[in-house]
Amino acid sequence: MIRHSIVKIAASLAFALAATAAYAHAQLEKATPAVGGAVTSPGEIRLKFSEGVEPRFSGIALATEGGAAVPLGAPSVDPADNSVLIAKVAETLAPGVYTVTWHAVSVDTHKTQGSFDFTVKP
Amino acid sequence: MTTLSLRAIAAALVGASVVLWLSPAFAHAVCGDRIFPATLAIDDPGVGDELALPTLTYPPSNSGGSQEFDATFSYTKTIFPGFGLSVQDGPTWQRPGGYGWEPLNIEAKYNFLCIPEFEFMASVGTTVIWENTGTGTQTQPFNVYQPVIDAGKGFGDLPKSLNILRPIAVTAELSETAPGQAWTNGNQNSTNLNWGFTVQYSLPFYNSHVAEVDNDFFKHVIAITEFAFSKPISNFAPGTNVTTGTIQPGAIYMADTWQFALEAILPINSASGRGVGVVGELHFFFDDLFPDSLGKPISMWGQP
Repeated sequence: MIRHSIVKIAASLAFALAATAAYAHAQLEKATPAVGGAVTSPGEIRLKFSEGVEPRFSGIALATEGGAAVPLGAPSVDPADNSVLIAKVAETLAPGVYTVTWHAVSVDTHKTQGSFDFTVKP
Repeated sequence: MTTLSLRAIAAALVGASVVLWLSPAFAHAVCGDRIFPATLAIDDPGVGDELALPTLTYPPSNSGGSQEFDATFSYTKTIFPGFGLSVQDGPTWQRPGGYGWEPLNIEAKYNFLCIPEFEFMASVGTTVIWENTGTGTQTQPFNVYQPVIDAGKGFGDLPKSLNILRPIAVTAELSETAPGQAWTNGNQNSTNLNWGFTVQYSLPFYNSHVAEVDNDFFKHVIAITEFAFSKPISNFAPGTNVTTGTIQPGAIYMADTWQFALEAILPINSASGRGVGVVGELHFFFDDLFPDSLGKPISMWGQP
């Protein structure tokens, strides 16, 4: 009896979850340049999140190894995929290590943040 | 209705929409760059809207040789940001012994601290295990009170020269289990001190902060070992104040709105059991699944 009740509850829950559009914390899935990667000077920073993000409340910053800010364009989302946040790199980057710092507000207002390094090869 | 009043209503609706849209969603255990997963033996330091259903436990056989199997659920509802109430219950089968429904377990918990730059968070809570709410083998004629403190620390703030260590996090818990009745049927009900910790290595953190994990499965995996201990500290029968505990190595797969955890249960001594047990849990994050209804606090009290 109780076992049947548990099965019914689990089945109902599974149905409810399956029928509901889910949003979540926007976690960084992939980045270009890659997290920890080595590249030639990139034209843009492209961050692929696990969820759609709201560009007005999200941001990307770029800094040299010494902490100097590198100018970036205003962040925007890929018109074809609102889980991709993009910022244009305004200048050619000299060889060295750079730090990307990001914060994201997903479309359901959850906030996440993070940072990673990449290297520009000579 | 005049044009002016229509405009006023429209403006009010737009204003309300903006306010609602900008009301932040409140997360499970997130502090700074760190997302602490829900863990099995040691509670995580966060408070969020979540449901663990089911948690299936096949512990090591006890020192007397009997075997137990538990199937429990736990549901937490945030009342206001950082403060939640959770209810836990479920059936237990013992062989020999039989079947019983565990006493109702209700916890009030408050996440009072998060220092984002240090990925450090802490919470306090009190659990009451209610008298006469269990059945069969789990009948308990008295309340049990359990004040608890939980804390978690991520090591993402280590210098980049220690990059390989930055995905590590630890969480810890300290509590006391105090029965509301000193004796039952001629047996002493001891007061116990409980403590434990987890050590975690987060591949999601590694993927987003250290180097790309080129595998869609492993980039969601957190390797974990939990350590949980208990020792009677007062009102115990002579010779029974032995430290018992388990070490639980395992892994957690953390998706966007749910996670699955699976751990082995290894007793630390013969008083803690014999053989190897196993525990698995499916866990849903309601703050992510239902951010506009079940998944948000009832009140935004305390928010600016």
